[in-house]
Amino acid sequence: MMKKRLFTPRLLTSACFFFSALFVEAQQPARLTDPEVASAAVTANQIDIEFAGIAIQQSKNKEVLNFAKTMSNDHKAVIAQAVALATKLKVTPKTNYLTKSLLADAEKTKKRLQSNKGESFDIMYIENEVAYHKAVIAAVETILIPQTENSELKKLLENVVPALRTHLAHAEMVQKMVHK
Amino acid sequence: MKIILQIPKVVLPVLCLSMLLLTQTGCKSPSERMEKPQKGKMHVVEITQMQFKPAEIQVSKGDVIQFINHDMVAHDVTEQISKAWSSGPLQPDQTWILKVSGSADYYCSIHPVMKGKITVEP
Repeated sequence: MMKKRLFTPRLLTSACFFFSALFVEAQQPARLTDPEVASAAVTANQIDIEFAGIAIQQSKNKEVLNFAKTMSNDHKAVIAQAVALATKLKVTPKTNYLTKSLLADAEKTKKRLQSNKGESFDIMYIENEVAYHKAVIAAVETILIPQTENSELKKLLENVVPALRTHLAHAEMVQKMVHK
Repeated sequence: MKIILQIPKVVLPVLCLSMLLLTQTGCKSPSERMEKPQKGKMHVVEITQMQFKPAEIQVSKGDVIQFINHDMVAHDVTEQISKAWSSGPLQPDQTWILKVSGSADYYCSIHPVMKGKITVEP
């Protein structure tokens, strides 16, 4: 129980930091181009695959492992669709402030995840997944979709949102289980 | 001028039998006679936008349900209470057919928040 009390405020703080950092950056006037949107979208998916990889290595909890495998497979499927579309449209993803912000936060999170084991790890991983999916859904809906010019890329992003919402609901379900 | 229709004796019983059959079926066309098929009815549940559509379906025992995965990620269709049956992973655009033997709650074991219900009408 002590571990749960110790981690919850820290994770909430980090989630809030991540969330606010994303939006402080997002409020910048610079509008993302389609290659920049593609880069941010692929990076956001790649980061969650990496989080899932750590969970698959470190967790022994059946529900956490099932969730992590789903995240890995689903986000790989989304990247495959994005790469196929980028190839078709001859768009080369371009690194930008949002991509850099996502990667910087992900590095910090990965270090925290890798320094924990057992139940502490499970709680930290799943709480981060809840916060991460909330932040990514907000970023996709308020930054990426509105700023995308190409209709096919916009449609792909719109189609990804239900999957992200389902992932969030799944993460919240597992969160209740690991807190029991 | 008289026209005499000559019917061979061998053909006569066949004609009589055909007339009898037409009378009994009320002279319905082939399509009309197929109103009550021998096999169960086919229903379709589409998996799209991370949902089973329709999420609840009413069928008769012996009917079949075709599940079609339109999403970009894999799903499955698994009986929820005892996992009595499962489609196994359905990749994008794959389909699976379930012959209904009874009412059931089902879900996607890959995304456990996705749920559906089959009700067999009495």
